Amino acid sequence: MFNLRDWGAGIWERSGRPVRVLIALGAIALAASLPLLGGTFLKTPIADYESVLVFPVAIFVIMALGLNIVIGKSGLLDLGYVAFFAIGAYTMGILGTKTGLNSWEILPIGIAMAMFAGLILGVPALRLRGDYLAIITLGFGEIVRITALNLNSIGGANGIVGIPTPPTIFGLEYTFDNHRLYFWTFLIIILLTIWMIRRLSVRRAGRAWESIRQDEDAAELMGVPTFRYKIWAFVLGASVGGAAGVLYASKTLFISPDNFTLQVSILILACVVFGGMGNIWGVIAGAVILGYLPDRIRFLSDARLLVFGIVLVLMMNLRPDGLLPRKKREKALPEKGQA
Amino acid sequence: MSDNILSLKNVTMKFGGVVALNDVSFDIKKQEILGLIGPNGAGKTTVFNVITGVYQVTEGDITFEGASVKGKKRYKITRGGIARTFQNIRLWGDMTALENVITATDTHKKSGLVSGLFGLPVSRREEKRGKARAQELLDFIGIGEYADRLAKNLPYGVQRRLEIARALGTEPKLLLLDEPAAGFNPAEKVELANTIRKIRDAGYTVLLIEHDMSLVMGVSDRVVVIDFGQKIADDLPAKVQNDKRVIEAYLGVPEDAS
Repeated sequence: MFNLRDWGAGIWERSGRPVRVLIALGAIALAASLPLLGGTFLKTPIADYESVLVFPVAIFVIMALGLNIVIGKSGLLDLGYVAFFAIGAYTMGILGTKTGLNSWEILPIGIAMAMFAGLILGVPALRLRGDYLAIITLGFGEIVRITALNLNSIGGANGIVGIPTPPTIFGLEYTFDNHRLYFWTFLIIILLTIWMIRRLSVRRAGRAWESIRQDEDAAELMGVPTFRYKIWAFVLGASVGGAAGVLYASKTLFISPDNFTLQVSILILACVVFGGMGNIWGVIAGAVILGYLPDRIRFLSDARLLVFGIVLVLMMNLRPDGLLPRKKREKALPEKGQA
Repeated sequence: MSDNILSLKNVTMKFGGVVALNDVSFDIKKQEILGLIGPNGAGKTTVFNVITGVYQVTEGDITFEGASVKGKKRYKITRGGIARTFQNIRLWGDMTALENVITATDTHKKSGLVSGLFGLPVSRREEKRGKARAQELLDFIGIGEYADRLAKNLPYGVQRRLEIARALGTEPKLLLLDEPAAGFNPAEKVELANTIRKIRDAGYTVLLIEHDMSLVMGVSDRVVVIDFGQKIADDLPAKVQNDKRVIEAYLGVPEDAS
């Protein structure tokens, strides 16, 4: 049976370095040219196509990649991932309106804040497993949102308005409707995230996460400092979520607690599961589809979310492991005798 | 210092009202193969679990190379030089055989996440060395050809042996084998006995739990027998076989796994 994952992995494995570089450049060029394809069948009715590409699509991709470190790689069920997104966004909102710092200066601060929050949450929470961890993270996500809702010093229910746009770079001006520039900026963050995950996956950290996901007790007994690596997974996942938050606030220029509901956590989780947990290409595909689809089928008006739900249900029935599942291909063996 | 690598001193392990181990003491000498036998439910695997820190002993103490392992984190005990296999195979199925062993070799690596992320020389060097060492261990155990196969797709016998290779990957001084021959045919058992001797000859100390009497008696230098959580014999294999209490414990018939 034709298998897209194996087909893609096969091409990649058989290729030498120059071909791989070409494939990577081609993929990046294709992604970068997406905003230029607004005139094609990709066009979203009603919503502005280029704006949809920035949010939700690009933001979803970043967040799904971050959540994938936690859920896909390490097997830690985090239902409060939106908290880190909110912390990044509020860091941007507060510092952007109250200090003279610009988006690029706030980005590392927002990432650091989210990482710190990941650490604070992780140290007590990661002593628990499975369902218990899910409930704690769920609670954390709500705590962050409700805190923002009740703290009048940071806008309360009204949120924060008048967040500044990022400063002009290379003569390119970030204006509210310059979606292409935002998209390309976010694409760079996506590429950096992919680089980080791919790098770590083939090293000690990746193996540690993988072993923890598959059998945590065995991992601990084989000398893997499981607690430390679970914290790392949490903190790195949080850093990506925080980055997404800063970027999001720099784009929408207005944030309120309503942007950071449990539904966002669930939707990002759906992206990861839909695309294929643990496989970054699957996760990206899942986030792109789930971010884009609701706007593409907007012509269905009221039936839109019903169709969206049916697609999800069908997909998970037909391909429970997601679009591009994680299972690694074995290298072709000389003799394929017994299976 | 004595030539004992590991000592159990009056170890008692209680789970609520159940006494799994009752005042058990024995030593393992360096480069020895010590067999640990007993009827089902006697407490053999519990011995492994208290040594590796899965359970904390209720009373008594366990010392490894003179230092107590009590209260130590499990991965630190492994790092200190005790590695084990599992009675019910617990490999990481979605990783290849080689990756399983490399993960174990990570135990002693100095480079962590940050140096790996930025590809620092120390990380590159250690990655290379770990991979070479893992392949070496697979070859040593005789399953080198399966390196790139996913662990879950390996034949049962290879999985059992991969468990041993993975434990060796942590560079232990003491290797604990929990029923490594379970489900093996006679030819495989002979092969396993040779492997265990080979492991000892390479400088490791082995503590072996096994139900197959011919294997245990053939390969062990000394045998400890426990029954209902109590040690009832600790002697040379030939003497243990004729020990009255041991024969009683086994209802007079040496248990035959096959």
